[in-house]
Amino acid sequence: MTAPTPATGTPRPTRPRRSPFVALSLLAGVVFTLYCAAPRPLGIGVDLGAIASNLTRGREIIAQLLRPNFAFFPRTVTPLIETFQMAVVACLIGCAVGLPLAFLASRVTAPGRWTLTIDRWVLNVVRALPDLLYALIFVAAVGIGPLAGVLALIFFNIGVMAKLLSESTDAVDVGPVEAAMAVGASRTQMVRSAVFPQVLPNYVAYSLYIFELNIRASTVIGIVGAGGIGNVLNTQMKFFNFSNVALVVLELFLLVLLIELASVSLRRRLV
Amino acid sequence: MIRFDRVSVTYRGGVHALRDLTLEIPDGQFVVMVGLSGAGKSTLIRAINGLVPITSGSVFVDDQDVARASGRELRRIRASVGMIFQGFNLVKRASVMDNVLMGRLHSTPGWRSLLGRWSAADLELGFEALERVGIVDKAWVRASDLSGGQQQRVGIARALAQQPHIILADEPVASLDPPTSHQVMRDLKRINEELGITTIVNLHFLDLARVYGDRVIGLRGGELVYDGTGAAADDGAFRDIYGRSLTAEDVLETPAA
Repeated sequence: MTAPTPATGTPRPTRPRRSPFVALSLLAGVVFTLYCAAPRPLGIGVDLGAIASNLTRGREIIAQLLRPNFAFFPRTVTPLIETFQMAVVACLIGCAVGLPLAFLASRVTAPGRWTLTIDRWVLNVVRALPDLLYALIFVAAVGIGPLAGVLALIFFNIGVMAKLLSESTDAVDVGPVEAAMAVGASRTQMVRSAVFPQVLPNYVAYSLYIFELNIRASTVIGIVGAGGIGNVLNTQMKFFNFSNVALVVLELFLLVLLIELASVSLRRRLV
Repeated sequence: MIRFDRVSVTYRGGVHALRDLTLEIPDGQFVVMVGLSGAGKSTLIRAINGLVPITSGSVFVDDQDVARASGRELRRIRASVGMIFQGFNLVKRASVMDNVLMGRLHSTPGWRSLLGRWSAADLELGFEALERVGIVDKAWVRASDLSGGQQQRVGIARALAQQPHIILADEPVASLDPPTSHQVMRDLKRINEELGITTIVNLHFLDLARVYGDRVIGLRGGELVYDGTGAAADDGAFRDIYGRSLTAEDVLETPAA
């Protein structure tokens, strides 16, 4: 496979042999997926035929889901507002607490190796717990209601913000950081004047994303009675009122869509 | 006064950036330092404000020992030493004024810097610094909207806002075109003459060093190989510094306009 030597000029270097690693890992991925989909008890038993033959069984539920019961609307207003308020409060507190934690978890801004390691560990633990578990813990601690939901969302939000923002902070231009150290600024001043302005657009974007996550998470944390529209959703599902469920889902869909539209225009103005 | 007393700097990995260097720079001097990449120019400059820790010896700035200064003392030394960078090191999204006033952080209380609310006195210092480099009209423009030469002037204004005794410039014109390079060098020289600020400039181009340096210092392999006036720095001297004859690539070629 040597390239033909050209008539003139320097000989063309041959391309180094590609490592078989990429092809092998692709193959391994395919095999592993097949294993997971294999018939029970080996895998979960993905059976395309069953999907087709059982499709009609869900007809009743799907038919109800396609006919949202708008008469149910008045009873969803208060819980929906509650979900919105929970999302606002948790997002504000979570993002405020997440900001300094993000800077402590980034190599660029952390004051020392120990702070960095400890903070990253704490954040890993905070993030490893799912929002549902937080909701369970706080329902047990402070009782059923939106307070438990807000507390659960705050922890969830701190984890998300600190993770995302610390990664953005790792990627900032370190030139201004050196300049700030050279003028005799303290570390806090350096972070505020040289790093924060660089990650501000990310911070805004992540905050809006977290707000959106909170609206979605309300469906999950409502299951354990942590307030908001999730409670309603859970109850209606238990009573098989799928027309009512459909209305709630539609409302959540519109709410998330609205937030997305608002955040796009807000980001364009701020960044 | 800046004094290097038998200073060595060895980086992790064993690279000797400075070897047993002794040097004295009196107040108000305009010193140009030349040498190949890796000769130790950047290390020497950063040893003065403690951005690079020295391995042995002592560096004194106004009779203060930089290596033995506490965190607070080191910040006070840094406050009196302005620094200008090859890549300008501006916060590009921030306004020119916010960048310049970074130079005031050393005397700004914590709450003010956290809120980003500068005092009227600091703001006026910022305007004066911008006036001195001729871009006061750009004060509220985003730094990224300026040309390279203008951005470097913001860098100079940031150093001036510190009200320093010393200015260190690390390859300040390496990212600029020849006419702009001369403008920036003239700005630095004028500031040195008008305010009496001791100035040390690292340069790549030998002709610039000859034109602007009252005193030229040559480094090679972390050692001092030339120390004299710019006028006396002939081709032979540069052969010592560069270890080879001059080529067209060593000069900027554009006469100071």
